[in-house]
Amino acid sequence: MAEFKYIPQSEIFNCSVELSGAKKFYVLDGKPMGFSAKDEVIEIPSEGDLLTQVIFVRTTPHPSSYKVRIFCPAGSSRAVILCAHTTGTDRYVTEESVEIVMEENSNLSLIVMQNENGASSHHSTFEITQKSSSSVSMNIITLHGGNIANRVNCSLNGKRAEVQLSGLYLAGGEQNIDTTVNLRHNSGECTSNQLFKGILGGNARTSFMGEVYVAKDSQKTEAYQANNNLLVSDTARAISDPHLVIYADDVKCSHGSTVGSLADEELFYMRSRGISEPEAKLLQQQAFAGAVLEKISNVEIRERLSRLVERRLRGEDTLCTGCAKRCC
Amino acid sequence: MENLLEIKNLHAKIGEKEILKGINLTIKPGEVHAIMGRNGSGKSTLSAVLAGNQNYTVTEGSITYLGKDLLKMSPEERSWAGIFLGFQYPVEIPGVTNVNFMKTAVNEHRKQNNLPPLSAAEYLKMMREKMAYVEMDPSFSSRGVNVGFSGGEKKRNEIFQMAMLSPRLAILDETDSGLDVDALRIVANGVNRLKREDNAFVVITHYQRLLDYIVPDIVHVLYKGKIVKTAGKELAAEVEKHGYEEFEK
Repeated sequence: MAEFKYIPQSEIFNCSVELSGAKKFYVLDGKPMGFSAKDEVIEIPSEGDLLTQVIFVRTTPHPSSYKVRIFCPAGSSRAVILCAHTTGTDRYVTEESVEIVMEENSNLSLIVMQNENGASSHHSTFEITQKSSSSVSMNIITLHGGNIANRVNCSLNGKRAEVQLSGLYLAGGEQNIDTTVNLRHNSGECTSNQLFKGILGGNARTSFMGEVYVAKDSQKTEAYQANNNLLVSDTARAISDPHLVIYADDVKCSHGSTVGSLADEELFYMRSRGISEPEAKLLQQQAFAGAVLEKISNVEIRERLSRLVERRLRGEDTLCTGCAKRCC
Repeated sequence: MENLLEIKNLHAKIGEKEILKGINLTIKPGEVHAIMGRNGSGKSTLSAVLAGNQNYTVTEGSITYLGKDLLKMSPEERSWAGIFLGFQYPVEIPGVTNVNFMKTAVNEHRKQNNLPPLSAAEYLKMMREKMAYVEMDPSFSSRGVNVGFSGGEKKRNEIFQMAMLSPRLAILDETDSGLDVDALRIVANGVNRLKREDNAFVVITHYQRLLDYIVPDIVHVLYKGKIVKTAGKELAAEVEKHGYEEFEK
């Protein structure tokens, strides 16, 4: 990973490259713009079949704390993307809690994109509760940030509920990115699948703490958990601690974690074909990240994020093609 | 004619173990050389050293390629200068598609020659044409490099890559190992189509089998890190008939 300089947005954030089929909302320093908060909870608007894009921007250095709720009524299907940005290089401190309520047979595709300055501190807690036959696909893509902590608590409370959780964190410089997952199979016949991957350069520190809990009567549970970390500098450090707590006996569960560096024989093979060393390393890193990006079903968002990840790995501005601003 | 490659008194080791103990070899454009030898004679070490594998250390001797000191060049510089190694065990690279891999390689070669990168359409046309050389299905292009490929498919992929990069000096390290007769014929046909007056091949093999298809001009027998005999193509038949023992006295 090349050394990356985050260039913040200099004016009030305005994403100038539209996502097709999306309705855009802004939240500035925890205050929703043009839509209201009920009982101090920012309810993410539902726009029928449209993708709801909510852009959270930090503009003032005062600490900000807010609550967000995504409600998916029975039988509904929603797609939401939440983006977090900073407009300056101040030390923004953000405490965010996101409640996600999944009624019977509901479906949610959620992408969380985080791209903040290297001094910012952003702590998010995602509290997901799922009723029977509901389905959640959640991807957390952390491009940049100072001190980022993402905690996902997910409770599968009804039969045949499904959750796919994935995350990609790119940490360089002095960044610190922590991920904590607490997944509770409180009901049987549910499936959970986790894949979290990190690429670490510089003096970055990351941690992954993951617990999958399978309650006593939660038979026919399927639960998979993986965390893989790629170290591209000698001084980066990744901690990985996945674990399973299983009280039911008829389950399929697995977990695994790796911390490693780029494979030398792959590198030599690529170089022997005339791919220069930096480009070969970049290909390896992109391949590593690809397994998470692949899980994003919206093709437009997947391609856009893949491009942003590539630029991030190259040490370029994380700028969307066609955008004159320097934000995401 | 100018020598393409000149190896003089080459000694190389891996770890503390000396494998090459004074290799001398000269290759001219248009020639096909075969290097035969038992396992452990140093065949693969020689090809690895030529391609710039940093696991091996050259302790003595020199390699001159087109008048330049090859040992001072990085693996990618050697590739740009026209050296190609067909791997005995092609490496699998999960997550990097064949098309992305080769497109990056071809465009890096073009960059070195001050040529603009190929457009997607130009690349696709070139790729289809070269894949046909080795009867490779275009569907392989979207798969991870060598991932899940059979032994024969991997070797065909090596020859396809060679066709894409159009090298001056190709070293094929036991390209015949693990191939059935059909795959052997396909691979050999691919190689024969790429022969030109200005390029050369070094075919490394245990057996004469491959040399029935790719006919060498010069055959060398390697034994304990040295070339112990050099002769015309009839030497391959002699090895096949009598084995390596008579060269090992």
